Amino acid sequence: MNTKISSDFKPDAVVVGGGIAGLQSALDMADQDLKVLVVERNASIGGHMIALSKVFPTLDCASCITTPKMSAAAHHQNIQILTNTEVQAIESRDGVHRVKLLQKATYVNFDKCIGCRLCEYACDTEFRDRFEEGLGAVRAIAVPFTNAIPQKAVLDAEHCLTCGTCARVCPTDAIEFDQKPRRLTIETQAVIVASGFELNSVTLKPQYNAARSQNVIAPMTLERLLAPHGPYGRVLRPSDGKIPGSVAFVQCAGSRDESIGVSYCSRVCCMYAIKQAMLLSGALPLADITIYYMDIRAFGKGYEQFFQNAKAMGINFVRGKVARIDPLQGGDLRLHVETTEDAENPMQERVHDLVVLAQGMIPGWNPAQISPVACATDGFVATPSLTAPTATTAPGIFTAGTAAGPKDIVDTIAEAGAAAMQACQYLYQKREAALVG
Amino acid sequence: MSTQNEFREEPGCEVEQNDPARIEAQIAAGQRAAVAPNSSTYGSDDAALKIGVYICRCGGNISDVVDVEQVAETVKLIPGVATAKVHTFVCSDPGQHTISDDILKENLDRVVVASCSPFLHEQTFRGAVARGGLNPYLYEHVNIREQASWAHKHDPAGATSKAIRMIAAAIGKLRHAVPLEQIKLPNHRRALVIGGGIAGLKAASDLAARGIQVLLVEKAGELGGHLNERGRVYPSEQDAAKLVAELAQRVNRDARIEVRLSSQIKAVSGFIGNFKVQVESEGALPSEVTAGAIIVATGFRCYQPQENEFLYRTDPCVLTLPEFIQLMRSTPDSARHLTVNGRAVNNIAFLHCVGSRQLDGVHEPQADGRLNTYCSRTCCTTILQQALAVRRRFNKTGVYSFYQDIRTYGRGEENYYIEASKAGVVFFRYNGEEPPKAEATPREHARRGALSITVKDTLTWNEELTVPVDLLVLGTGMIPGDIADLIEQMKLATGEDGFLQEVHPKLRPVEVAVNGVLLAGTAQGPMNIQETLSAAGAAAAKAAAMFAKEEVELNPFVAEVDQDACCGEAQCVTQCVYEGALRLVTREVNGELVERAEVNAGLCVGCGACVAVCPQRAIQLNGWRLDQFDAMVDGIAEGVPGQNCAQELVQIG
Repeated sequence: MNTKISSDFKPDAVVVGGGIAGLQSALDMADQDLKVLVVERNASIGGHMIALSKVFPTLDCASCITTPKMSAAAHHQNIQILTNTEVQAIESRDGVHRVKLLQKATYVNFDKCIGCRLCEYACDTEFRDRFEEGLGAVRAIAVPFTNAIPQKAVLDAEHCLTCGTCARVCPTDAIEFDQKPRRLTIETQAVIVASGFELNSVTLKPQYNAARSQNVIAPMTLERLLAPHGPYGRVLRPSDGKIPGSVAFVQCAGSRDESIGVSYCSRVCCMYAIKQAMLLSGALPLADITIYYMDIRAFGKGYEQFFQNAKAMGINFVRGKVARIDPLQGGDLRLHVETTEDAENPMQERVHDLVVLAQGMIPGWNPAQISPVACATDGFVATPSLTAPTATTAPGIFTAGTAAGPKDIVDTIAEAGAAAMQACQYLYQKREAALVG
Repeated sequence: MSTQNEFREEPGCEVEQNDPARIEAQIAAGQRAAVAPNSSTYGSDDAALKIGVYICRCGGNISDVVDVEQVAETVKLIPGVATAKVHTFVCSDPGQHTISDDILKENLDRVVVASCSPFLHEQTFRGAVARGGLNPYLYEHVNIREQASWAHKHDPAGATSKAIRMIAAAIGKLRHAVPLEQIKLPNHRRALVIGGGIAGLKAASDLAARGIQVLLVEKAGELGGHLNERGRVYPSEQDAAKLVAELAQRVNRDARIEVRLSSQIKAVSGFIGNFKVQVESEGALPSEVTAGAIIVATGFRCYQPQENEFLYRTDPCVLTLPEFIQLMRSTPDSARHLTVNGRAVNNIAFLHCVGSRQLDGVHEPQADGRLNTYCSRTCCTTILQQALAVRRRFNKTGVYSFYQDIRTYGRGEENYYIEASKAGVVFFRYNGEEPPKAEATPREHARRGALSITVKDTLTWNEELTVPVDLLVLGTGMIPGDIADLIEQMKLATGEDGFLQEVHPKLRPVEVAVNGVLLAGTAQGPMNIQETLSAAGAAAAKAAAMFAKEEVELNPFVAEVDQDACCGEAQCVTQCVYEGALRLVTREVNGELVERAEVNAGLCVGCGACVAVCPQRAIQLNGWRLDQFDAMVDGIAEGVPGQNCAQELVQIG
């Protein structure tokens, strides 16, 4: 892994995004002896997956699966990784892609930083930790998280008071307050767009009142609460630290809903809700857990069996759409539910301690205006080819994972392999043609 | 990136190092114990060993039960242990760095990681050990997650004690370990693809386009598989024939691909890099081909309803989904309605989940006793695609869908549900425990429909409704292909669902336990077309990566014959179940011709059956030598010197 890359560096392929899709694509290309540059906008590779607690349907801890891939990519002799770097444009001409990068200032010289964290321990300024979904605090200069790669401190200029404490304690003089962002252009033959997803906001549906109650939470927040190395090390509800006795999952809160502009299915919410419900019932054996759903979409290998196990474990599945969520005094929440279960009483009011809204997946990056890659009407990268589902509208540019629509980890990893294969054969054929021609 | 990552005092990473006094104390403790050995396990010859032990919390998976700090403190007392450290995730980059750094800085010559299953991370840690400059086989992996913390969740003290003993056993084993080298075998740069459906076609064309020779074997007389029988594919609504033609053309035109139609695999032997496969083509003698990798793309079968399941085969007005697609395709564009059994179809019922999502006590098991508990993944969208097509072609035909959950999960698939609803498809939702019933309508009422479907409809609060229809379409899904022979020949594993089983759905999703064999497409489980093509691409990528190397590299855990001790009795050869792995060869010893056992390292799987039967103890398994087993048993029995082991044993028992 190298953090100092010059414009002379000419990788065979550039992978946009260092999440699980990007890393798998990079590994599958690098194993075929291609030189790959992975560009990640965050301070660590690993994407969303590294923040998850456990993953369905095997209930492996997410770190157990992600960290070896992160590590394998970081150690691969054919892979270079640039973190804190954004792709600003891709210009394609005559089969060459010029990828314009902006390497953001981290105010830490990565060549000098040894990841000792002395700066982090000395820093007095704290703010909400985005990695912990705002539940914990992080210092203004910090290594992103325990198993981050690279293990380098990054200074948050927005919160830093420039008091200079970090520079004083740094044993290697790595702090550079005057560091400037750096622009560089990398020329390459192939690009894989693996820019992933974001989740739409929990406040998107005002009737769910997430803006008014801390106890209406996003699924990623629950992931962190469930993670053994999470912010509290246990499941507590955010408003008052109470151990929740009754938890509700509201499905399709950000998908399959034309009123919020997301008519498609986000594909993973049913399964992660079931997984989180299972983990919750392990963490809080006395808790009453209810999943309000429209259709349970347990379609993958072993998923239906996982769903049936959850039912057998006593998790309540209620088919019905939640119409409104009212915050109550003391932090509890009243759900107005229309169910199809009870003919006498179809309109019900139910009170829960904690509510998890299943947000929808939306694209993490829009390459449409800044590159030759077109997006479809759903906002994700368009993949028009019938026989090559990872090919985009631009020759030599491929896509993998949730950049091309919601997908679970299993499907993402398979697609990442396919994209790598597509890019490799594209490069091979170009070379063959060059030899012949 | 920096290699100077060190263990630090913070909640994630643990403890010590950088404290010279502490290191001194540890070394002193180790030496004290080493000069006072209390058993054969800790012979003075081994006193020079410097073993590093790394104990993983696995983010709580282990440390919530096992007292990992206690384990570290205790194993430090074992002679030869130079350092014992705890980490939240040893598999993470900082964790791995610690190992390689310690090897360099502290001159460690053996490493133990106590963490999860070796299946997950043995290779990871061998890599870290190698990066530290140590032979990667001077490494032992101890599984204290599955075997201690998970197995003894309710007995933390017992789990902790067991973890200590398991580590003691590994240390004992390592004392007798010798550096090993990977076995390198020639790599035949050709792939065999079994199956000429879209998965096989895609894998073959991807590999060939990458410059790799391919032999594609298809049992039918044409390429394309099930897709030859489909009309339009969702969500693009393009003609399936076009997709098949495009792929088949690429395969047929590529000189690197040899296609054998009407052909079957008769026998498979050999190993990664060098498989020997007997292929029998119709009207020809079997021939042997050599391939470095095999991609299994044998696909699925359509579920065939059992006799009388929803009146199938009893009533001509009941069709499976593929049969219905055929009916739609064969109905002329000019027709004003579909016709079944000579009657116009005015109303159609589609019944979802026939042969899928089966429940114990509700559904009849299959002939092999198995229930199809899985979801077939593609039927919901296919049904809605067909339902919508019916409404658009024959707008007077009523269409009813009887479903449990509508699973239009994929990109563009939800639109079929939305459009079908808008187009007037009527939905009834049943509970899996109470599937709808189909009955033939008595003749006097037959004017309203040949069949009546009765459902307890949960959308109308469990009202029992009876719907007369002229045609019932059973939404039949996928079942595993009929490949029992291949499974036997190639020693493939199947899951509970009967489909071929991958090693791990995320870590090694297209690989199986047999090295060099890869899975592509629906042989592995239900998938739609795009997913199948992606899976095939992923399999091709793995094969291509394998072919990128000149030689195949394998772990060295194979049997080795001590030629001096072997007396050619051949009991080992008789016991060996892996054909060709062991054989007798004639050698000249002191001017005499004698027979001696010889191991084929490519075929030997290291099962150890030969070791057990050799009267001369002339065969040993590399990495698992008999003295290593003795040392492991001693390690388990004795635990840690100075600890009250008898009591612990009772606790474990």
